Amino acid sequence: MTVGDETVPKKPALRRRAPTRRSVLIIDRLADWIITIGGVFVILAVFAIMAFLAQTVVPLFTGASLIGAIEGRSEAIRGHALMTKIDEYKTLAVAIGESGEVTAFHIASGKPIAAPQFDLGGTKITAFARTLSGGNVAFGFADGTVRFGEITIDVEILAPGHDMSRLETLNDHDWTDGRAIYTAIQGGQVRKSTVGLEIESPQAISPGHAIRAMDYRIGGTPERPSIAFVTVGADGVARLTRTETRKNMLTSEVTSTAQTSTLPELPADVKLAGILITEKADQIYIAEETGLVHRYDTRDLAKPTLAESISMVPEGARLTSFSFLIGEQSLVVGSSAGTVDVFFRLQRAGAATKDGYALVRAHNLEPQKFGIIAASASQRSKTFATADTAGNVWLRHSTSEQTLLKLAPKEPTKIGSLTLAPRENGVLAIADDGRYFAWDVDAPHPETTLSSIFGKVWYEGYQAPDYTWQSSSGTDSFEPKLSLVPLIFGTLKAAFYSLLFAVPIALCAAIYTSEFLHHSVRSVIKPVMEMMASLPSVVLGFIAALILAPIIETWIAAVIMAFIAVPMGLMAGAYLWQSLPSPVALRYGGTPKFILMFVAIAVFGYLCYGLGDTFEQALFAGDLKAWANGGVGTDAPFLALLLFPLAFIAAALLFERNVGKLHADWVRGLPRTQAGALSAARWIGLCLAGAAIAYAVALLMIGVGISPRGGIVNTYAQRNALVVGFAMGFAVIPIIYTIAEDALNSVPEHLRAASLACGATPWQTAISVILPTAMSGVFAAIMIGMGRAVGETMIVVMAAGNTAILDWNIFNGLRALSANIAVELPEAVKDSTLFRMLFLAALTLFVITFVINTLAELIRLRFRRRTAQL
Amino acid sequence: MTVSYLNKTVAADAGQTMTMARKRVTDLSSQGEPFLWALGGALAFGCIMIVGFLVMVLWNGLSTFYPKSIAAVTLTNGEVIAGEPSRVERYKLAPDIAEQLPPKARAMVAADDGFALRTLYRTGNFDLYGDDFRWVPEHNVAKREYPNGLYFAERVEWGVFIGRIQGFEAGGAKKEAGNFAESEMRAAHAEARDRFHRIRNIEKDEIGSINHYLNKERLGLRGIELRNGIASPEYAAANEKFNARAQELQIRYDELAAEAKALRAEDAAQRVYLADIGGREKVLPLSTIVRLYAANDIGFFQKIGVYLSRWAEFLTEEPREANTEGGVLPAIFGTFAMTVLLVVAVAPFGVITALYLREYAKQGRTVAIVRVAVNNLAGVPSIVYGVFGLGFFAYILGGRIDRLFFSENLPNPTFGTGGLLWASLTLALLTVPVVIVATEEALAAVPRSMREGSLACGASKWQTITRIVLPRAMPGIMTGIILAMARGAGEVAPLMLVGVVKLAPELPVDGFFPFIHLERSFMHLGFHIFDVGFQSRNSEAGKPMVFVTTMLLICLIAAMNLAAIVIRNRMKRKFKGSQF
Repeated sequence: MTVGDETVPKKPALRRRAPTRRSVLIIDRLADWIITIGGVFVILAVFAIMAFLAQTVVPLFTGASLIGAIEGRSEAIRGHALMTKIDEYKTLAVAIGESGEVTAFHIASGKPIAAPQFDLGGTKITAFARTLSGGNVAFGFADGTVRFGEITIDVEILAPGHDMSRLETLNDHDWTDGRAIYTAIQGGQVRKSTVGLEIESPQAISPGHAIRAMDYRIGGTPERPSIAFVTVGADGVARLTRTETRKNMLTSEVTSTAQTSTLPELPADVKLAGILITEKADQIYIAEETGLVHRYDTRDLAKPTLAESISMVPEGARLTSFSFLIGEQSLVVGSSAGTVDVFFRLQRAGAATKDGYALVRAHNLEPQKFGIIAASASQRSKTFATADTAGNVWLRHSTSEQTLLKLAPKEPTKIGSLTLAPRENGVLAIADDGRYFAWDVDAPHPETTLSSIFGKVWYEGYQAPDYTWQSSSGTDSFEPKLSLVPLIFGTLKAAFYSLLFAVPIALCAAIYTSEFLHHSVRSVIKPVMEMMASLPSVVLGFIAALILAPIIETWIAAVIMAFIAVPMGLMAGAYLWQSLPSPVALRYGGTPKFILMFVAIAVFGYLCYGLGDTFEQALFAGDLKAWANGGVGTDAPFLALLLFPLAFIAAALLFERNVGKLHADWVRGLPRTQAGALSAARWIGLCLAGAAIAYAVALLMIGVGISPRGGIVNTYAQRNALVVGFAMGFAVIPIIYTIAEDALNSVPEHLRAASLACGATPWQTAISVILPTAMSGVFAAIMIGMGRAVGETMIVVMAAGNTAILDWNIFNGLRALSANIAVELPEAVKDSTLFRMLFLAALTLFVITFVINTLAELIRLRFRRRTAQL
Repeated sequence: MTVSYLNKTVAADAGQTMTMARKRVTDLSSQGEPFLWALGGALAFGCIMIVGFLVMVLWNGLSTFYPKSIAAVTLTNGEVIAGEPSRVERYKLAPDIAEQLPPKARAMVAADDGFALRTLYRTGNFDLYGDDFRWVPEHNVAKREYPNGLYFAERVEWGVFIGRIQGFEAGGAKKEAGNFAESEMRAAHAEARDRFHRIRNIEKDEIGSINHYLNKERLGLRGIELRNGIASPEYAAANEKFNARAQELQIRYDELAAEAKALRAEDAAQRVYLADIGGREKVLPLSTIVRLYAANDIGFFQKIGVYLSRWAEFLTEEPREANTEGGVLPAIFGTFAMTVLLVVAVAPFGVITALYLREYAKQGRTVAIVRVAVNNLAGVPSIVYGVFGLGFFAYILGGRIDRLFFSENLPNPTFGTGGLLWASLTLALLTVPVVIVATEEALAAVPRSMREGSLACGASKWQTITRIVLPRAMPGIMTGIILAMARGAGEVAPLMLVGVVKLAPELPVDGFFPFIHLERSFMHLGFHIFDVGFQSRNSEAGKPMVFVTTMLLICLIAAMNLAAIVIRNRMKRKFKGSQF
């Protein structure tokens, strides 16, 4: 390429001022603009990442919002309703009145729609029950009979081109012919919604005694459906009946069997507030108005027992609302004092109940000002709505304990029936005076709050509030457990163990390379290490998980032994070297010595391979995994092993303090070989002393009750933190090494020269002059390595086992934030709670690394300024 | 720490200076020998780790394709198995199992401190045995030999078959073993393979293109329906045209299907009769055998031939058997295409940003902060970029593009899901700090005097940059770009979110307009490693393949790194003399 420029005139003498060509000016200006815009764009784009992640995460914390509200009056509402039901699209509402009449109306306009009626034969309804999902209803009558039925809103999609002209217009997208609602939907199609009914013939339960209260569930399998129901008669007797229908596959013959039993110990004059039965019919809850709830254990249908009776409302209040949440484990209890509490049954050791289970108050929700009179649970999550006597309707979530939305009619109203829309996107409240309130709400992420993500949450069936991550499961009634704490813990655990392994090696190697290695060797090793830094982590993960993990599992005792033996081997090498006569030591002090270090590692590594079994016999009763489990052996040897480095230092300090001076004076006078031998003897002595101290302290600690087992060592899993730490070492060591070496190397040469000229040895120069000067750069290297360890993904995905647990056990796996994202995000539905939670995980990761890297960068800048001044 | 005034080593080295020394002092602590060994030991350990790692990958990667001999092992219980010895392992026998062994075996185990050796044999014949591999403890072996006539057959389905050839059938007559020459069968095999490829060509490429055109016509029709409505005259006209075209394509399809059927019938008539070592027979169409050799009969050069042909297949064919066999061409291609796109995106933006920071922006606090931020972003975990790429590029940008340009294909996403373009852009974002930092350093290294000289001669700022600054900074910029490529090619985690799949049905480049399909998902060497090594049903069967892929990927990245170093050095030399 030629150096030159066409605007520079070749013969300046001809023209003093060459006019600049217009195109040059235009291009110059254009370039100014493009580069500035491009530069700013890239910088903004880079910052946009954080903003975008944050923006995706925000809806997790916004609770719910009210989209629209309808307050209307419908002729279809005639007095108190036993139940109401609305369809998935919030078009049609159906109500069953106290005498069993079915009415329906168009929600947007309040226009009544004709509905079929149950044929009840004029018997008076005295009790009513329904299942949470579907439209299954049951009636109890004054003559002691019960009837089961079904009420549904049937939806049919009609082909495009349906003629609407003869229909009555309700609003811009709904029409009616008096019996059905026709709604225009996407693609010209029409959705027709009608009410459907079914009722079975009566079953006599308590002849002569009216049914006062009842509840029922449909269970069993499709081949063997069963109905379980519990009734309380006017005679005060509670009866449990279970009917099972079995269909013979060969003859198509249907046989039904019914079993009835009587629940014990129910007072005759009791005022019932509610009665609930679980789907498996194994528990029955009967609530009195006083707040006393009796729980019957009916796992053995023939012999129901009263398991416990506890009061669920505050002193002086009445129990006014009693219902299940989806899954039928959580009981929502509302009182006349306005309190709303969630209880569930837990297995408790030492519970004062007959079956070993006890009901516990797990969630204490924000109380309403007035007494609760109605509650409605969602069919898809732990969301529910409660209404108080003044007509305030609050949308709540049980797990996260948050109140999502507080709704209120314009003026206080007595609400008779409350329904949460099937898609949780609306609430319908019907007042006894014919008015109704339909609220459109948007509650996309009711289960997340800051405290449910980062704090302890009491999940159904858990003994106590806990940090748990379990985002999905097979069943509908599953309670998502979205705590980021175990994942953050996993990330930190992986980073901790890998840095524990990588930092000493990387820093020592960097110091040696920079200060002691011949430059020809250095010029080979440094680029190789740098290239290692760009090794794909998927390769490391693969090697770690499929090659390393089985090997480490087989030779675990040898591996643990190597952690002690290889450093000891190097020390032994050093003391032997020290005993060499100085001409030899000087002559071969360069590369040959370095090669001897390899030999020392190889020899002692092989020794570990050979003696691993003996080591295991001696320290771990012959089986390390059983030992780690707490099955066999004692803690003392392992604890002593852990304490040995500290004990050795203590012994060395003790020696230095008491006889150090004496020893040094003595050594000074000796020739080098003898001094070396003496020094080696001292080292052996210190090792023995250290071992003795370590063992003594270990015994002492065991006496106090400190044990490593159950803490940092426990059950062995093949893919564990040890393997991760080792594999991540491959990724982290080159980074820390390269940056630290650069920092050490950039310490000005004159400092080194001055120190050496003053008579300091290279070791003294390195430790007292170079390292302190480069300290901040070295520290930055560690921070950058830490940033990489925190964000590393493929290694933890493949080698960490991905179990989300809070456990420091080095032999157990972990689930890191990054691995969790990689595993779960491809499956997550866009904009679902899990999707946003994973974005939050990414944001958390981003913030953690951002803080670490910024710190590192600031430290590094400071270091640069300092070295520039020197 | 005491500092010795006159160090012993200095004194001894100088020899003559003894008289100057007032007193000979031995101060071993000043040498710090044990500490030096700790430092050096750490470096040595690091070197051992790295060299060990590379040697393991290279050894496994290079040796995988070399044909091994097939051992016929007679076990102590009389069973005979045949297989390639895969590896030998020393393991510890549980005491209760050791006790149940026959006395001779027990003595063997006892002599080895309770340890025993076992060999993993690749027995193949998955369809007969239900497993590909089998561990055989040494103490169970009665006899091991390497008999002639054992064939190693790689099949299109069910993996490897190891056994003998009973005969083969071509043109209607079965020929028993011994009645035909090996070359005769080889010729028939070559012919069958040709036919097999022809059938595949018809079914995949030609019928595939018919499907492609039919789908395109259908989408065109749907587009007209969306724009003009189903009742419009335009739709009726288009519908008629569509039906005519569909008819035409159907006729062509029938022709091809008939041709393929005829070929298949021909194919089924050429069969090979195989039997495993125990005599269980298996009859296969000759064309379903990819490669066949008598492992114990062939010599070194023939083995090299098999070795090379396997390498050729690996580099130029598509994968078979859930990616555990065959080639990785789509993955190589995907990695390559993604890296090229990555460079196209990252180079201009990285260089422009660096130019802005170094040449245009006012050097002050803001630029310092931006620089810290850019350095910092190099350390943001790659998975975070993946999350961003999925959320922003695929769902938001891609979703918008789909609504604007590909509405006829909705609700199936075109750009609204992961794909080659989004993967490249995500990685570009990930690697842009690398290019920025490298370019900035290179720009800073251009002497100020050169810029000033150019400006003083009357050149505009842009002219100075393009003709003076950039050429001199080019080595640094190239290094940065190549390092970015190396980093991008090795990343897997973000790609798992933005478009990499385990098996892509179509390459991102093909013969249909617009030839480059940026929206398609693709295969990637790194993800191939993850998938085969970690997610496949039989990770043992996939392991050799993973090692080869690993070696390929490492070599690719090492080559890029080396290229960066070489380019840097060459360009440095080129410009050495021209500085003033």
